[in-house]
Amino acid sequence: MNLFKIIADLEKVDPEMTARLTHRRSALTLLGDLSKKFALAAAPIAIGSAFNKAMGQNTLSAVNDVLNFALTLEYLEEDFYAQALAAPTLAANLTTGSAARNAIQTIKNHETAHVTLLKGALGTAAVARPASFNFGTAFATYASFLTFAQAFEDTGVRAYKGQAGTLKTAGNPNNVLQTALQIHSVEARHAAHVRYMRRAVDPLAASQYGWVTNAEANGAPAAVYNAGNPATTFPAESNFTQAALDLRTQLGTTYTAAEVSEAFDEALDNTTVLAIARSAATF
Amino acid sequence: MPNASFSSVEPARRRFLRSAGTAVAASLVLAACGDDNTPTPVPTVLSLGSGDMGLLSYFLRLKQVQAAFYEKVTTAPPASLPAAELDLLKEILLHKQIQRDYLANLLSQNSQNGLLTGVEISFSSLSLTTRAEVLEAARKFEDLGVAAMNGAGKYFSSTTFLAVASRLASVEARHATAVRDLIQPSSFAASDVVDAEGLGVSSTPTAVVTELNKYVSPLPFSAASLPNS
Repeated sequence: MNLFKIIADLEKVDPEMTARLTHRRSALTLLGDLSKKFALAAAPIAIGSAFNKAMGQNTLSAVNDVLNFALTLEYLEEDFYAQALAAPTLAANLTTGSAARNAIQTIKNHETAHVTLLKGALGTAAVARPASFNFGTAFATYASFLTFAQAFEDTGVRAYKGQAGTLKTAGNPNNVLQTALQIHSVEARHAAHVRYMRRAVDPLAASQYGWVTNAEANGAPAAVYNAGNPATTFPAESNFTQAALDLRTQLGTTYTAAEVSEAFDEALDNTTVLAIARSAATF
Repeated sequence: MPNASFSSVEPARRRFLRSAGTAVAASLVLAACGDDNTPTPVPTVLSLGSGDMGLLSYFLRLKQVQAAFYEKVTTAPPASLPAAELDLLKEILLHKQIQRDYLANLLSQNSQNGLLTGVEISFSSLSLTTRAEVLEAARKFEDLGVAAMNGAGKYFSSTTFLAVASRLASVEARHATAVRDLIQPSSFAASDVVDAEGLGVSSTPTAVVTELNKYVSPLPFSAASLPNS
């Protein structure tokens, strides 16, 4: 673990950190302060992000490893929505027959379908479902639930995108790349809808759309939108260059950084994705 | 006849179109210098090409038609379209223009036809006079785009270009949800776009091009040379 890199990453999250940081113990103490700056729901993942970026990379090459990585994420998402639908704290918002409950039920059903599909494809090679997922305070309020949901869905989109090339390089057996791309598009549909649900109830998200503007987390964990590792391959969602071309100024028409960032989603490496998941849930 | 060609594009884009046009114009001149004894067949289709470049060209034409659609409906929006919804469609238009211009640039960099001129796009066959008609047409174009990208990504041989396509694909799905949320919020991932296995529907290039060709003249796009296995 490279502490200097971690500290450098923390500085990106908290620019004032340098002035206060003298040695490792200070850094660990400051993690506590840092968490207070985020919404209750966002803090655990935000802390994780600093470490993720230091350690993350794409480490998968075999198709089954990619599918098990995806299956783990789908287990997590399925359980997350199942817990939400059963949570007494959310009952007043997710009332039977409401548009909100129907939407969450639809998303949950898709995650269940993805689990079934991936397990079927993996057969005996399928990784076991974790005994439990503990999402901490995620369901304390409707807003924090939606913040977690946004984080999981937007991360999911980046996660599948990050493995497309791996599946291609592995020869696309059984047309698995097409399946992954189809799931990828469903995660993006989910993500956009959850972003609108959250926009309607959470002041932090009041100006967000279904797409990602710059790397704006709007109260969700910054790591979800930040660069992965290496950043050249997995840039932050604020990226406005493609293959060395500055799309703000080199397309014949001038566009803003925000507009360009919205027009492209960015991939994320599997190590960073899993670290985000593990900082949001214990499993 | 309503026509969403590029006659109304701003000066900066016009300059780009002119510069992008030179390479293709030159190739046309060369083509015209062929053996006089061999009559040059009059093209009846605009081939999208083959291989990865063909796939990028396919996506360019999709984006070109989509951008033209949003240019039309945001330039002359129906009175029943609320301002906030018009703003949303303008946002989507910007994304389409950026994606289109990027693909055009990428194709030109690779000595391919990234030219936007020469393709006339008209939506005169669509009635776009009410909010409902505009949003329904937008939904169809977005769902078409998602299905197109779901179906074609696997054909790329270069992981670099596959990455480009996948960066665009999820934005397309976000657009689809944005429009569907305006029409009927519960429809963002309804069974007409997500099947029982939880998979987003996909379409073949041939099927997508058939749809695009309803709005394109003088030559229809041809997906005949695109990868299909």
